[in-house]
Amino acid sequence: MEWLDAVLLQPLTETYFQKALIGGSVVAIVCGVVGCLVILRRMAFLGDALSHAMIAGVGAGYLFMKLVFGVEAHAPAMLLGSLIAAVLTVGLIGLVTKSTRIKDDTAIGIMYVGIFAAGVVLISVFRNAIHIDIVHFIMGDVLGVADADLWVAAFVAAFVLSVIFLFFRHLQITSFDPVMAASIGVPVLFINYLLTTCVSLVVVSAVTMVGVILVVGLLITPAATAYLLSDRLDRMMLLAALFGVTSVVGGLYVSIWLDSAGGGAIMLFCTAQFLTVFFLAPRYGVLSNVLRRMRMVPQQAIEDVLGSLARRDELAASRSEIEPHVSLSGVSFSKVVRTMERDELLTAKGRTLSLTLKGAQQARGILRAHRIWETYLESLGEASDDLHNRAHELEHVRDEEAIAYLDHILGHPDTDPHGTEIPSVADMASRKAIYSISELRAGSAATVEKVKTPGTGLSEGDKIQLIEKSNEPKAWVLKREGEPEKTLDHEQVDSIFVRLDHYSGT
Amino acid sequence: MSEEKVIEVRNLTVSYGLKPALLDVSFSVARGNLIGVIGPNGAGKSTLIKSILGFLKPDIGEVRLDGVPAGKAKGKVAYVPQRGSVDWDFPVTVEEVAMMGRYGRIPFWRDPGAKDQEAVEKALDMVRMSAHRNTQIGQLSGGQQQRVFMARALTQGSQISALGGAFRHHGVDAATNERILDCALARESRGQRPLSLFIADLSTAAEYFDKLVLVKQRLYAYGPPEYVLREDLLSEVYEGRLKAFSNLREKGGD
Repeated sequence: MEWLDAVLLQPLTETYFQKALIGGSVVAIVCGVVGCLVILRRMAFLGDALSHAMIAGVGAGYLFMKLVFGVEAHAPAMLLGSLIAAVLTVGLIGLVTKSTRIKDDTAIGIMYVGIFAAGVVLISVFRNAIHIDIVHFIMGDVLGVADADLWVAAFVAAFVLSVIFLFFRHLQITSFDPVMAASIGVPVLFINYLLTTCVSLVVVSAVTMVGVILVVGLLITPAATAYLLSDRLDRMMLLAALFGVTSVVGGLYVSIWLDSAGGGAIMLFCTAQFLTVFFLAPRYGVLSNVLRRMRMVPQQAIEDVLGSLARRDELAASRSEIEPHVSLSGVSFSKVVRTMERDELLTAKGRTLSLTLKGAQQARGILRAHRIWETYLESLGEASDDLHNRAHELEHVRDEEAIAYLDHILGHPDTDPHGTEIPSVADMASRKAIYSISELRAGSAATVEKVKTPGTGLSEGDKIQLIEKSNEPKAWVLKREGEPEKTLDHEQVDSIFVRLDHYSGT
Repeated sequence: MSEEKVIEVRNLTVSYGLKPALLDVSFSVARGNLIGVIGPNGAGKSTLIKSILGFLKPDIGEVRLDGVPAGKAKGKVAYVPQRGSVDWDFPVTVEEVAMMGRYGRIPFWRDPGAKDQEAVEKALDMVRMSAHRNTQIGQLSGGQQQRVFMARALTQGSQISALGGAFRHHGVDAATNERILDCALARESRGQRPLSLFIADLSTAAEYFDKLVLVKQRLYAYGPPEYVLREDLLSEVYEGRLKAFSNLREKGGD
């Protein structure tokens, strides 16, 4: 147990390590919480911009205090300077996007690099007055945290966390649905500025720990990790804070063991954490996605079973009769059957499969699509031995309106090219209340609801019976109670809408 | 009572730059009506909805909701977003979305109370989504997603809901749509049927709405569907871009 003592507890006795642990955790918590809003609002790039831009503010703040008051490295002035630089960056970005055709991401890129460059030049020109190590600034130094940095971090954390706690609902609704938020009187613009201020503060306080380059990571990686695990914003924030702290603790130990840069180790640990969750997250992870896909039975197989069963008498057959007609593409036939049983599409008794009512309805839809496609393909002059296979591919395309249109241009056929009956539209699962007469089968009785074009001799409320449909020429023979038969053409029957009383079809 | 004017749009002119988006539009809506706004792309439909939500300051004229200028009547109109403008991956549950309808009346220092919770329960019940209260909104089917937003409009307790064309999108069948509209009308039984204002598409226009507003910068017609969906009128407004008028009208008459 001694080595454990040396590895885990020994560093804790060192002051620099304690400070790094406390300071880093405080920053990580607030970064994680704010980071959730940053990634949900797609502001990650803005976080990056702010961290770079603040170097100019730090330099200017340092220089001002040094030249005016002769104070070296005055922390509050540098903090204020960075905030001013951040606000300036945000303002300039807004100005560019609003007044020109340049889009957000480009404007952010231009402005933050510009202000970052100004900071670099400022610090190098006044290198005799400003004792800031740019490399230190860029890389951060978590193991050399000064007391002033700790105080800044604590102040920022207290302020930002209170804001988020108090305005949680406002931040949530303006991120999720800003229009609705505005419509109930939430001051959307104010909330946006408030959040941007919080992000700036957080970035400024985190830069001293992990440096300009890595700060965005601390802001977004723990939040993104939490995003893969939670379905509520409050829980996402809690988890993100937790992941931030574990990154800091884990990263600091790694940096001690490997004697590496602290900031780098923290972000490496943080990224490893993300990758672990990315693979293993229960719902949104890669592994569970793959497993889910493997477990899923392809729709094609289900439709094949439905279609083949629907073609049998009694809508039932033995497993061995059906299996050859099913394209399984990797899954086992018994699994397809189990899935369909679970979805109540069929029942399996011993070796016999039979369609349920629901299964039969779906199957009729497939058969109808298949046979209408066949009829359509034949009307295009497709070779008759190809018809079945081509229609088999197409039967999965069975958008109701598309099939209704094909049915219409084919003149509402009763049978397919093989002479098999096409299930009627009145037989589908999504039963309509109103049909046009053209959609009915001979033998159906109905009540007229509406007549759209005059001259058919029918009117609302008439009881009619469809006696016969003839093909050459297209004609519908109807009979109204107690009257002689009358013959209508396609256009006329399309324009008469009826409610079915008695339906005749498959 | 039923003829009380809930929305009054008077001589409304709203412009962006040189060209007015709406020009001298006037109409008024009685309580309990289901209104569809139709018109070609860029005709000012969403400008009209935004004006009624009080987002835009009219150049001339005004919108009054229950007699109060729209800009001051925050929260009187429940807004339902277009499907495409919602981030369905946002970590928010069904219950939370429904609760958002109450946010306008909860001061920021207080948590939602028992009354708010009760309103949420009731609304979720009404749209038959209680069983999914803890589901993240992206896990729902298209129809369920719309019902969640309808629940939000209900908890807001507004007399008016304005919907940004959320209806009849791909993947949502007609039956679901009808159910949503049922919800919109569900409060009829309590004698306070909310007024709803939708951006409608032409194919739903005739079937569901009591009255239609046909706009293209100007108000071309306002009235019952059979009055607004006249072939001459539509072909004037749509400039022949739409060929299926007669079909639509047939459907509509069902």
